[in-house]
Amino acid sequence: MRPFSYVPAASLEEAVGVLARHGDEAHLLAGGTSFVLLLQQGLVDPGVVVGLSSVPGLNTIERDGAGQLRIGAMATLGRIEGDPLVRDALPCLSEVVGRVATVRIRNQATIGGNLAHADPAQDPPPILLALDAVVEAIGPSGRRTIPLDSFFVDVFETALAPGEILTAVRVAAPSPAIRFATVKFLPRTVDDFATVTVAVRIDPSPDGRVADLRIALGAVAPVPLRAVAAENAIRGHVPDEALLAGAAELARDAVDPFDDVRGSADYKREMTRVWTLRALRRALAPSERVA
Amino acid sequence: MTQGRAGPAGSGPGGSHIPALDVPEDRVDGVAKVTGAARFAADRAMPGMLWARFLASPMPHAAIRSVDAGRARTMPGVRAVLTGEDARDLYFGRRLLDRPVIAWDRVRFVGDRLAAVAAETPEQAEAALATIAVDLEALEPVLDAEASLAAGAPILHEHPERYAFLDGKRPPTGHPNIQGGFTIEGDAADLEAVFAAAPHVFTHTYRTPRQHHGYLEPHATLVWIDDGDLVHVVTTNKAPFRLRAQMAASLGLAAERIVVETGYIGGDFGGKGYSIDEYACYLLARATGRPVKAVTPYAEEIGQVNVRHAAVMRLRTAVDADGRLLAHSADILLDGGAYASAKPLAHLAVAGAADTLAPYRVPHVRIVARTVYTNTVPAGHMRAPGQVQTNFAGESHLDEIARALGQDPLAFRLRNAARPGEVGATGARFREARGAPLLEVVRREMEWGSSLPAGRGRGVALGLHHVGAGRLPLTLLIHHDGRLEITTGLPEQGGGVHTVIRRVMAAAAVPESIVAVRQVATSGTPPDPGVGGSWATHLASRATAALAAGFLAWLDERLPGALPAAPAGATLRDGRVVDAADGSTLAALDTVLARLVPRDAPVELSTVYEGGHREGEDDDFDFAACAVEVEVDRETGAFAIRDALLVVDAGTIINPVAHRGQAEGGFVFGLGGAVMEGLVLDGGVVTNLSLADARLPTPGDVPPLRLVVLPTDVGPGAFGAKAIGEAVNPSVAPAVANAIADAVGARLRELPLSAEDLLRAMHRA
Repeated sequence: MRPFSYVPAASLEEAVGVLARHGDEAHLLAGGTSFVLLLQQGLVDPGVVVGLSSVPGLNTIERDGAGQLRIGAMATLGRIEGDPLVRDALPCLSEVVGRVATVRIRNQATIGGNLAHADPAQDPPPILLALDAVVEAIGPSGRRTIPLDSFFVDVFETALAPGEILTAVRVAAPSPAIRFATVKFLPRTVDDFATVTVAVRIDPSPDGRVADLRIALGAVAPVPLRAVAAENAIRGHVPDEALLAGAAELARDAVDPFDDVRGSADYKREMTRVWTLRALRRALAPSERVA
Repeated sequence: MTQGRAGPAGSGPGGSHIPALDVPEDRVDGVAKVTGAARFAADRAMPGMLWARFLASPMPHAAIRSVDAGRARTMPGVRAVLTGEDARDLYFGRRLLDRPVIAWDRVRFVGDRLAAVAAETPEQAEAALATIAVDLEALEPVLDAEASLAAGAPILHEHPERYAFLDGKRPPTGHPNIQGGFTIEGDAADLEAVFAAAPHVFTHTYRTPRQHHGYLEPHATLVWIDDGDLVHVVTTNKAPFRLRAQMAASLGLAAERIVVETGYIGGDFGGKGYSIDEYACYLLARATGRPVKAVTPYAEEIGQVNVRHAAVMRLRTAVDADGRLLAHSADILLDGGAYASAKPLAHLAVAGAADTLAPYRVPHVRIVARTVYTNTVPAGHMRAPGQVQTNFAGESHLDEIARALGQDPLAFRLRNAARPGEVGATGARFREARGAPLLEVVRREMEWGSSLPAGRGRGVALGLHHVGAGRLPLTLLIHHDGRLEITTGLPEQGGGVHTVIRRVMAAAAVPESIVAVRQVATSGTPPDPGVGGSWATHLASRATAALAAGFLAWLDERLPGALPAAPAGATLRDGRVVDAADGSTLAALDTVLARLVPRDAPVELSTVYEGGHREGEDDDFDFAACAVEVEVDRETGAFAIRDALLVVDAGTIINPVAHRGQAEGGFVFGLGGAVMEGLVLDGGVVTNLSLADARLPTPGDVPPLRLVVLPTDVGPGAFGAKAIGEAVNPSVAPAVANAIADAVGARLRELPLSAEDLLRAMHRA
């Protein structure tokens, strides 16, 4: 690690300006839980680090006029886990972020850093994909929104342009009829990245069919992804065990995991099938209905 | 004067009947540690201090063509750059000096050092490393222990005769890639005949991985040479006198010219008996004339210092029709890595390497344990070295045999556990054979034999660990103001040895409030072996008991002079001299000491305790049993421990809180090795070099754990104390593997036990 200069940004505009001035030399610092590890391992080597914790209001969690929940990029995972608005509108999100690493990490790591880091093994992306989340960004050419569905490009790579800063994630509060099931499969230790994460969202229709659904997967491909073929197999149908089992196999075939200490690629594929099927069953089980 | 015991005899956590030992201990190091006042080696600094960093080989095996540090020497803040040319023929090690301080002709693992830099800041040192140009010629690497002994394997050390060997002569090894080893033979002449005639013979092979200790505190050192040419070494090493001897031998210095000072140690687990930076820091201090400090980055801790030996263990056992063990042979092959440097024992293996069936009676035995060279990170000592590997193999093997014979695994163990008067498989004569009573507690506590729901199973494992022995000097200073000060070279490495000293004084009627325990550098105390090998409680408690007796005798002799009116039979109680007849106070101890000790000339009493085991005599062991109940998810292979039980054989417990901490902590330590820990190597490169990938257990991983202590008072320590630190952890992994087999019928023979391996094994079954 070489010495770097640290710029605590007073505003987003200042941060954008510093990034523009220094280009590849500059790196953003949100909570730092991943960044500092990368720094220590020499995987990033910035000359300038731009701190975002000094930007006022960037950690706000609020409901906007359209009823959407807007979570500021610098909101920590611990804050999101316990936030009354999140607990009320998105208990499934509160539950997922509450499973990330340990309390010390959750109280430091931010949702913006989590998404912009684009580590495919992170926990929040699948549930946010299932919620059709949108991210807000600011850059040299102004502000824009990017659907999360097209945000993740590759391992550690996002749709953010050079010099662009993720500022918030926005989620529409789902209707009470919508059901969720989330899974973080941790076969070694509770304090680990997942071998596979699954988030399932079911929008039931009164006639027993599945009107719409999302099946989102993490840790099993270069990016968090939706199992679109599996979703299509179920959408519009009355679910039964054979239908779900077939969809789970489609989910398994959609992933592209790599071998690591959390399992071989083959094991992760099979676990994608098992846990997708279990998550689907759980989301469809009457007892799991969200009140 | 008689040794007094205040109050009624009570039975404490260890059933000690010694009231001073039955209250929870107040740790000597407790306040300093919880307030942050405790200073560790990495906290130390000197004016003008430089920082050292080291360039590591990127290749597992290569010839060094050139190392060009020209540019590094011109980098900002750099005060010295040393390459192998500056350190030719300098090797270091705990017993065999076979590891180069800085490599000059050849590198033998990813991590071998090619250069050492001293600079004004660690960042400047780091920046200089990046400018050093290295030209290496790759050689064929030996990447695992079996390959090391294969025909035509590259010879990793061509001139072992050049390596110094401390305290004796290196035993011949028979093959240049063998570091060392030993053979245990008991009635081995008939071994093959017994195998040939036996109704049942079972052969299984087990494997365990390299493992890192996972202590929080990294190795750190600060070395300077004073105006009198004395070499000062601040270190994390838990055996300061041994480090002094190792440095003297390595660097060609007289031991008296080296002063080694160890402060508090932030986690040991066997890893702090070996130091690697001290040698190069000395060379850098010599080159610059300035103090030089090094703190090992954690990735280098994992990949470059020393790890638990990976093992391949082939076990073969003959059993009669009733399930009695008839004969046992084992081939224990331990991966010693690139150097034997980290191993202290003369055989250059690890002590527990033959403990496959140590607690059991086996008439005919032959166990061959060998450590071999490979182009990987050197292996050394880690909590219960050898036992972790061999207990997993032996206790899994016994379970497999019992199940194959259709016998209950617990009953099978009870049938074969050595009883009082019998000898264990490694030839150990147990002063008290406690395997069977421990297993009976397991039977009761686990409701062994009662039915379990599908997917659940129970497993048990029995283990033992030798209570260490040796020689320990200890000094008591009696001060005019009534304070008693015990000075020792033993570091407080976390196990509680300083508290043992103070508690034993208290048990001998010298109150804790007037006793201080002070660790001094090697210049201020006679040599001792440091802490390790489960000997500290034994040696420190006995040496302290001797000092306490010496103090009481000293006082007794002088009491008539100090208190002319005192009646015969005056005794020390609660820090007062009392009339033994009616307990009435005759004088406060400090008043008496003020009369007996000159103001500026403390009285010094010293003792040397020597406790060893003589050939053919009974010896002391800690037995421990672990039992768990697991639940297996058949679709994923994931398993959860629903219930866990530890049964430990304890002597008189001196530090009850620490004892429990060692037992419970030992379980968690063993759990880590059982289900998640292990270095992953790819082509000789460790790929999980951070604690994010090399996982350790956290509180959320620990199942409900019950601890049953079976006390005894026949331990070799004071009042019958034994040891605990290394007794528990080896049995956890085999207990879990055995419970998994009980639950689903699939056997895992390799650590760590993983869900993926279990799923595969279930598909095969």
